[in-house]
Amino acid sequence: MDDESVLAKGIVEKIGLNGSFIKNERNDGDKVTLNGNIYDHQQGIEYMLGVLTSERHGSIKTLEEINAVGHRVVHGAEAFKTSVSITDKVIDKMQECVDLAPLHNPPNLKGIYAITNLLPNVPQVGVFDTAFHQTMEPKSYMYAIPYALYTKHGVRRYGFHGSSHRYVSTRVAELMNTDLKDLKVITCHLGNGASIAAIKNGKSIDTSMGLTPVEGLMMGTRCGDLDVGALTFIMQKEVIGVAATNTLVNKHSGVLGISGISSDMRDVEKAAEKGNERAILALRMYEYRIKKYIGAYTAALGGVDVIVFTGGIGENASETRANVMKDMEYLGVDLDFEKNNGLRSKEAEITKADSKVKVWIIPTNEELVIARDTLRIIKEKK
Amino acid sequence: MEEKLEDYALNKSLQSKTGNIKVGLVGCGSMGQEIAILISKSGIDLCFVEVDEERVEAAFKGIKEQIDKIISHWGMTTSDKRAILSRIKGTTDYKKLKDCSVVIEAINSRKWVPNQPVRREVFKQVEEVVSDDCVLISNASTIVISDLAIGLKRPSRAIGVHFISPVLRTRIIEINRCRNTTEETILFVKRFVKMLGKETINVFGSPGNISTRLIVPMINEACGLLMEGVSTVEQIDKTMKLGYGMQRGPFTMADHIGLDKLTKWMEGLYNEYGDIKYKSSPLIRRMVRAGMLGKKSGEGFYLYKDGVKIEKTGSIFSLGQNLHIK
Repeated sequence: MDDESVLAKGIVEKIGLNGSFIKNERNDGDKVTLNGNIYDHQQGIEYMLGVLTSERHGSIKTLEEINAVGHRVVHGAEAFKTSVSITDKVIDKMQECVDLAPLHNPPNLKGIYAITNLLPNVPQVGVFDTAFHQTMEPKSYMYAIPYALYTKHGVRRYGFHGSSHRYVSTRVAELMNTDLKDLKVITCHLGNGASIAAIKNGKSIDTSMGLTPVEGLMMGTRCGDLDVGALTFIMQKEVIGVAATNTLVNKHSGVLGISGISSDMRDVEKAAEKGNERAILALRMYEYRIKKYIGAYTAALGGVDVIVFTGGIGENASETRANVMKDMEYLGVDLDFEKNNGLRSKEAEITKADSKVKVWIIPTNEELVIARDTLRIIKEKK
Repeated sequence: MEEKLEDYALNKSLQSKTGNIKVGLVGCGSMGQEIAILISKSGIDLCFVEVDEERVEAAFKGIKEQIDKIISHWGMTTSDKRAILSRIKGTTDYKKLKDCSVVIEAINSRKWVPNQPVRREVFKQVEEVVSDDCVLISNASTIVISDLAIGLKRPSRAIGVHFISPVLRTRIIEINRCRNTTEETILFVKRFVKMLGKETINVFGSPGNISTRLIVPMINEACGLLMEGVSTVEQIDKTMKLGYGMQRGPFTMADHIGLDKLTKWMEGLYNEYGDIKYKSSPLIRRMVRAGMLGKKSGEGFYLYKDGVKIEKTGSIFSLGQNLHIK
């Protein structure tokens, strides 16, 4: 198969927990959710392959039809600047990155081990969330703390959502019939996690997430930028340790922490419509933080040609987009509010024809980036 | 008919048994509740056994209260609470433990009697219902695990695993093997401890493990200092806290452990080793008789309101002294 058509898509959820399940959707519309015990990642992958090759819900006849497997890996630190073919050496290096992403990298590795076990002769490729931002210069990625902390522990900005920022910036250039190398792009990935990136000549020059995915924009349950002095103050006043502090900034904060309602933007919007003041505050803070970053990145890029919205909120929440883009005429943004209103998950330009700076909605497709990189790398290997 | 996930397993899935653990817990007092929260938080199903329905209900209430307290200190979210509670079942029937791969004994007898025979009886009752490869764990602090394994058909499955309170925050768990414990049992328990996100400390057949043997003489010596009038409760605590970087001073620690429980540890170690350094200080014994059990009774070396130390009032001993002077 040489085209980019999707044969099936699916997800394994709640691995190792009660109520684990696997969902599969075939390209002919056949949908199935299978509930049962999925105790670990290996088992999850086994079931997924079982479904893919099954008579009833399958898309392929045998496992031999699988030519390669691409993995999304959250943290590649400085070791991985691009996607790579997975070898023992690569796995060793990925092990070294575990400290930087203790929640994400171990399951990523388990997925690789599972495939190695089940499909030992199939080549595997790792696509790193951090890789796209490896083009940042030290002035962007260094924190102004003792340099030794960078050399000793690798404390620096890495950035995340790399595949998404890469995909939407490439795609917008295609849709605009312009070479990405000639564009200054700001991409806003607004999902449950949210980050924003400044892209010049097709390369990321800055991004809002840092060493961890907590920094930058306000998110569903994450606080984003916060005075580190405030954090040590809170730890002292609330008498809490590192673990609780982590939960505080990762799970109790952001839109949920301010609104006290939900981390889901739709619930908060509903409450705001009914006049809930904290819900309104949460939305205004959320939008303001994005606006501030767009201003900063426009300065960093020396101007901006196109701003892209992606991710669950970026693609669907037209009011959020409108409020972010409001009063940005000074920058050359002339939003077509009518066009923007109610537009969901569609590739579309939402500025007026003569707007100097273009604003686009591009639904992200990280899976496609992984598939493309995987194909390219195994072809190069041959 | 609903489709089964199992129908889609590849042949190799038969090899994949890792993680398939269900835990049984006998005794769900405050320590048992802490253990239950830790295990369930790690994604593992747990069933606890209590003596009657009233205690089962009390245990659930205690678990909920403990989690609410953690949430109010930002350590968990309400969805964590829902997930944790969904994995915990309570019963009065030992038979419900039959499909457990590991059963933990964490009983806490309220009576003032040595509880070794009771714990041994628990082990025997559990063995009657569980499978041959189920591991039996005792959370006892000062008992020789081999003594508990007497009477078991398969003593090789018995092992001591000491959870230290606050269980959720303490990063280590002591594994105390007994004479008969097999390597297989030890390996299983090490993996289990790793699943709980803790580090293993290996102890070889020592009643009191490392932690209890070291903490008991220190608290006794602190009481000695106090009785000799060398210094005050706060000053002694402050010395160890700020001088040696301990998280809590000996008196705060004693209040936190509970003076009744501490006395049991002390008597247990004294009976076992015969060394006077373990014999409980007369001060602690007197306080226990007066119902001053520490944090849980609201009064120990310090005063407490709703489980929180009332910092400004200081130690009850200092208060007494002040009154005396006036």
